[in-house]
Amino acid sequence: MHICTVIGNVWATQKEATLGGLRLLVVRPFTTDGDGSAETMVAVDTVSAGVGERVLVVHGRAARHAIGKGHDIGFQTAIVGVIDSMELEGGRIVGQTAENDRSTGGAN
Amino acid sequence: MFLGRVIGEVWATQKNPDLNGLRLLVIEALDERSDPGAPKVTPVVAADPIGAGIGEQVLVAFGKAARVACGGDGDYAYEAAVVGIVDDFDVPGAPDSWRADAPRLGATPEGGRA
Repeated sequence: MHICTVIGNVWATQKEATLGGLRLLVVRPFTTDGDGSAETMVAVDTVSAGVGERVLVVHGRAARHAIGKGHDIGFQTAIVGVIDSMELEGGRIVGQTAENDRSTGGAN
Repeated sequence: MFLGRVIGEVWATQKNPDLNGLRLLVIEALDERSDPGAPKVTPVVAADPIGAGIGEQVLVAFGKAARVACGGDGDYAYEAAVVGIVDDFDVPGAPDSWRADAPRLGATPEGGRA
């Protein structure tokens, strides 16, 4: 499971049949020095996440289970939670969106 | 399975019901990337059924091993779990950053183990 930030939507009309009706979001993995991994991924949204929100992303069987269309589905990445907040070492608080990030003043 | 260090905790309200009641920890793998000045790290979030704390070094398992550790082999919407808290390890040549939190592990004389 990874922490990612939702950075956009994807739409595709011509797609594998098992992907019908799924909402696809583009996410960028969170890194310990900020938000910016260079890579991005596409994940199925199962929890109504919005652009800019930090989310929990799972892969493989856990993702297919969360998507809820059985295991024979042509996708392996899913968003399973929207992060309220995250407390990291040194008093760093990572919020639901980048605007909510703050530090409680600990040694960082 | 990998060796990691707990660097934080995550809270989420809007989530898959499988995650209800689970403690979710943010874990950084112990590898060269944890050295100061090394390229940024993408941490892993793992379910914690055993009660690890921030700063502790842990063993993290994926897939079926993680599901079993969390009480069964059914389908869950997560795939990583903390399966052990490391008391000590001996890796010759390991970077200093690996050992940075060793005193917090409770394995020191102050911790009552000596």
